[in-house]
Amino acid sequence: MFVEAALTAATAAPTSPAGSGEDSATRPGLAHRLRGAAPPYLYLLPALACLVLWTYKPLVEAAQLSVYHWNLLPTSPKTYVGLANFQRVLQLPQLRGAALNTLWYVLGLLPFSIVLPTVIALVTRRLGERSRTAYRAMVFVPMLVAPVATAAVWRWLYDPSGLFNRLFGLGDHNWLREESTALPAVLAICAWQMLGFAVLVVSAGLSGISPDYAEAAEMDGASRWQILRWITLPLLRPTLLFMLLMTVLLSGQWTFPLIDVLTQGGPADSTTNVYYLLWEFGFRSMDSGLASAAGLVFFGCFGLLAAGLVKLADRFSFHDD
Amino acid sequence: MKLLYTKGGRVAGIRIEGLTRQFGSVHAVEDISMEIADGDFLVLLGPSGCGKTTLLRMIAGLIEPTAGRVLLGDTDITYAPARDRDLAMVFQSYALYPHLTVERNIGFPLRAARLPKREIAERVREVAGQLELTALLGRRPKELSGGQRQRVALGRALVRKPQAFLMDEPLSNLDAKLRTATRTELSALHHRLRSTFVYVTHDQVEAMTMATRVALLNGGRLEQIGTPTEVYDNPASVFVAGFLGSPPMNLLSARISERAGRLRAAATDLEIPLWAGSDAARDVTVGLRPEHLRVVRDAEGSPAPADTAAPADTAAPADTAAPADTAAPADTAAPADSTARADSTAPAGSAERARLRGVVTGVENLGGEEVAWCEIGGQPVALRGPRPVGLSRGDAVTLTVDLDQVHLFDRTSGRRLAWQPTADKPSPQHTPSTQRLPQRPAAAAV
Ligand SMILES: Nc1ncnc2c1ncn2[C@@H]1O[C@H](COP(=O)(O)OP(=O)(O)OP(=O)(O)O)[C@@H](O)[C@H]1O
Ligand SMILES: [Mg+2]
Repeated sequence: MFVEAALTAATAAPTSPAGSGEDSATRPGLAHRLRGAAPPYLYLLPALACLVLWTYKPLVEAAQLSVYHWNLLPTSPKTYVGLANFQRVLQLPQLRGAALNTLWYVLGLLPFSIVLPTVIALVTRRLGERSRTAYRAMVFVPMLVAPVATAAVWRWLYDPSGLFNRLFGLGDHNWLREESTALPAVLAICAWQMLGFAVLVVSAGLSGISPDYAEAAEMDGASRWQILRWITLPLLRPTLLFMLLMTVLLSGQWTFPLIDVLTQGGPADSTTNVYYLLWEFGFRSMDSGLASAAGLVFFGCFGLLAAGLVKLADRFSFHDD
Repeated sequence: MKLLYTKGGRVAGIRIEGLTRQFGSVHAVEDISMEIADGDFLVLLGPSGCGKTTLLRMIAGLIEPTAGRVLLGDTDITYAPARDRDLAMVFQSYALYPHLTVERNIGFPLRAARLPKREIAERVREVAGQLELTALLGRRPKELSGGQRQRVALGRALVRKPQAFLMDEPLSNLDAKLRTATRTELSALHHRLRSTFVYVTHDQVEAMTMATRVALLNGGRLEQIGTPTEVYDNPASVFVAGFLGSPPMNLLSARISERAGRLRAAATDLEIPLWAGSDAARDVTVGLRPEHLRVVRDAEGSPAPADTAAPADTAAPADTAAPADTAAPADTAAPADSTARADSTAPAGSAERARLRGVVTGVENLGGEEVAWCEIGGQPVALRGPRPVGLSRGDAVTLTVDLDQVHLFDRTSGRRLAWQPTADKPSPQHTPSTQRLPQRPAAAAV
């Protein structure tokens, strides 16, 4: 008679059923398990607390304020007005101009947040360790200077008797007081300020691409230009999309301190953007309801934009592993 | 595309002359010269960090040498850019373009060469068919398994029929089974294409099975180049001997001396009678392949116990009966012939046989074979044979080996020693000893 061979050579009977009762006995108590699981969350707590305190709470409060009429004075009463504030926002005569200016700021910054940084990062890629550190420090310094200080220095440069007019022999052109040049003038400062940051981000993105790909492409007979077009730039796409997202969402905030110090939105609202408009309603006109409603509208619009861009980034991101 | 170096569609081969590359003070590759004939499957073999990748990348044109030349056919390509060399490379990481589909990855070299779209599609489909990738053409690299990625990388190299294929450990990311299968496929591919392959690996099995020639590198230097059989059977140096084989060749320190007109190599518990002749005493390293060692059995067939005159398990140096553990050649107390009588079943001519006495320290089961680890005069020695070898831990054993399977290396230089009979002596041409030690000079091994 054939007998199937046992799995192990030793044919001893299974050991005593000690395992059956052990399960519940060794299972740790709820409190004990909680204590074991807690530490990671405790580490997150400070950051979460800040996020709630500075972002989510104001957001909720803005939503509340947007349906009231209130002039920010603790003594005066809040009156409920429903969606009237939103209606006022959309009918504001200044909104169109501010939104358009915001768009100009975004479009004007894109060359300096994407195109130029990519070129600089590509050109300086082969620099030695030392010279790279030096040039990075140089392009990054503007980012570290406080925007208000930057604005002060640039105002002096833009002055009718300032360096620019003397340098280019433009007479006494008043850059910040002319409707035609005020916005580009503010834009130029902002671009100068953020270029270093953008170069750094793009350089980091570039160095994150394994050199294997370019080498493989070279072995495959591709020219430098082909490698750039078919390999390097496509692989850099996630980084560039990130910079696009940053520019679209944050250009309003980057230009805000410059506008505030240099032009206060003028002349004739030619340099104002949506954030500056919002701030004016809230803290100049003390119309908190209108400001909150405007804030929520902008929040919604930028949220949609961001969602679209993130979706785009996901589609074009390639994780090389 | 400008294929600068094509000569009537075929190239004569790759020649390397004194190639050197330093990284700062590190000599990654040092003065390597070799000839890679057209159609060769040359494997660059060596331990990690020996400079294989650096050498391959210099051939590829991805790094420039500090000194030396690379020639493709008659053309000096030392400083030609990689894109003009028409060599295909398979990277260890495969370097598949992550944003392109399999189809576009494979077609990339053709696209770079600006071939018409239709022709590209055609050739990609052809290569994909050969490599069984047709169903995967639409996928991106991250949606592929390791083995499939490896095939795509191979396809990208194959698609444009290059002058030579360069491969840097292409199988190291595959599991053992897939590696074996791919090895066979690569060999078949080489056979079919008859093109030149330069293949980097640290795996000696890959080298032995696929190569037509093996180049062994050590510390940036070329130790030996030859067919797998040559490098295995006639290792040019202690390094090669100790690198190839599993377990590798046993290397034992011994001293050569002359007694009564015959040379012999001896150490503690080790006695190898060599050939008639005379030479100055010298320190050598004796090399013995584990599979060439045999256990000397007594009449009953059990391992002959080490005879009482020379208890093998005593490593005590003061034991007068054991062969001198000192390098001194004279050991009159334990003549080899007295121990030779113990093995009645050993083949004839036992007085002429090498003799190692020791203790078994462990036995490893490899499935079909067993490896017995012994200690001979304080030096570890492995013996490999079909299972069972009939030894167990603690056994005292006497081992023997045919004289034509004894390798001798100079102790200081590590180079192989070959015996050249001097003219004034009657030539020992037909003694087994000269046949086993090839007459070609040691320098034949580069
Ligand atoms: N770019 C580099 N800079 C400095 N040293 C390097 C560089 N590339 C290689 N080396 C050194 O050169 C030596 C040879 O390196 P190489 O990569 O050729 O080894 P290898 O034989 O391919 O090793 P492995 O089997 O681990 O891949 C090593 O000592 C390594 O540290
Ligand atoms: Mg390597």
